[in-house]
Amino acid sequence: MQFIANGFIYRKSNSIIHKLDPRVKLLISIQLFTLALLVSDLYNLLIIFTAITIFSLLGKITRRLLRTMIFATGFSVLILIINYFAGYSLLYSIQIALRFISIVCSTSLFFLVTSPDELEYVLRWFRLPRDLVFAFVTSVRFVPVILMDTLQIMDAQKSRGLELEKGNPIARIKKFVPILVPLIINEVIRSGELAEAMESRGYGISKNPTSLYSLKLVNFDIIVISITMISFISVILLGY
Amino acid sequence: MIKFNNVSYNHPDGTNALNNINLDIPEKSITAIVGNNGAGKTTLVKHINGLLKPSTGTVSIKNEDTRKSSVAELSRNVGMVFQNANHQLFADTVKNEILFGLNNFGFNEEFVKERYEFVIELFKLRKYESISPLKLSGGEKKRVCLASVLAWNPEILILDEPTVGQDELQKTVLLKFINQLHSNKKTVIVISHDIEFLWRLQPNIVTMSEGKIIEIGNSESIFKNQKLMERVGIIPPQIIKIFEGLGIKDKIPLSFEESCTIIKNLRN
Repeated sequence: MQFIANGFIYRKSNSIIHKLDPRVKLLISIQLFTLALLVSDLYNLLIIFTAITIFSLLGKITRRLLRTMIFATGFSVLILIINYFAGYSLLYSIQIALRFISIVCSTSLFFLVTSPDELEYVLRWFRLPRDLVFAFVTSVRFVPVILMDTLQIMDAQKSRGLELEKGNPIARIKKFVPILVPLIINEVIRSGELAEAMESRGYGISKNPTSLYSLKLVNFDIIVISITMISFISVILLGY
Repeated sequence: MIKFNNVSYNHPDGTNALNNINLDIPEKSITAIVGNNGAGKTTLVKHINGLLKPSTGTVSIKNEDTRKSSVAELSRNVGMVFQNANHQLFADTVKNEILFGLNNFGFNEEFVKERYEFVIELFKLRKYESISPLKLSGGEKKRVCLASVLAWNPEILILDEPTVGQDELQKTVLLKFINQLHSNKKTVIVISHDIEFLWRLQPNIVTMSEGKIIEIGNSESIFKNQKLMERVGIIPPQIIKIFEGLGIKDKIPLSFEESCTIIKNLRN
């Protein structure tokens, strides 16, 4: 589980991709996502995968992005089989499966190089309601915490003889009850405590709270925007 | 009985958590593991019931390599009570919570009934047996966790920060309970930052820092070693400071009552 989750969790780095303005990172992710939705032939999908690989190499996140790919491959194999047995050609089924992997990777790419703080600035820049932004960013921020809780609960229950790997599929599902119940209760308690702590520190008093940081595009950001926009439009015009 | 032989452990992200650990924990002993946060205490004990397997080296219990057994198989003899009770409790009643481990190990009905009655009385949980463990106070939840692990009578009991969130009365109960386990020939391993509690317990002490064992010894020799205490980020028990301040270094009392007697004799 930790193996898969690490394919979506941000880690600090000094790479040039990490240093980009978060709006630029979002733009790149949206461009890749859109292309993955629009194109379906193998040639264009290859271009998308090449772009994802370049960004992951520059962002020094190749290994973790591979985990995302491994996670997505499981589902994409299922998509391939369903499409094939639904009467589509093998080539088309493969294209759909690859398209799914590229969609997941383009989304993961953004979260792997964008800190929850940066995500908050971007969403606030879009002038989304503060409560909505806070709720979304907090849920992203708490993913590693919930993962850690899950692992600790699994350890605690395994220490009392719970064997998650044994039994038929229904028995295995039932064995997750001792993990899910404490996890849900812990998170409900934590969210209540967090709400109280936020209110105790003045959350919600001001309609226009100030911010120490503001987003500013630097020359490098503008160069990256230009290159990616030209590439994006070229692929759309030439390939689609 | 428990033997760590050149054990090192690296987390999946590559961080080194344990570095060349060599440790023998004798049978029927009380051992405390102390050290600053991130010293590797919990990582160390997770190797005993197989939750973690060493990256290099071996951990053996009664000469059996832990890598050859599953967590469930090892847990039959190694009970572990985790720091956060909320990470463990899930059942609809205290009774079912206690029966969870007993049922997992597949004991016969007679044994299950006998052990259940034993722990429910020992931890004074009879009046709570039909209510949800989640509705109990912190101290009561901790008792349910202890009961649910002790229920299957493991030979080795590991307690991770057992005094956190416990009042003095509960700490005294816990102290008596650990001593009772010791007299019942159990091996008890305690991880704790509660030095005052450990001073009263007088276990063998293993001090750790940055994934390494710094020193092993009895409570008095370890807690009196000022340099060692500073190195592992621990403040010695107050009673040692007081008696060293009074110029009494050879015989430090264990209890408040004993201290009063010595101080009264000094005044006379």
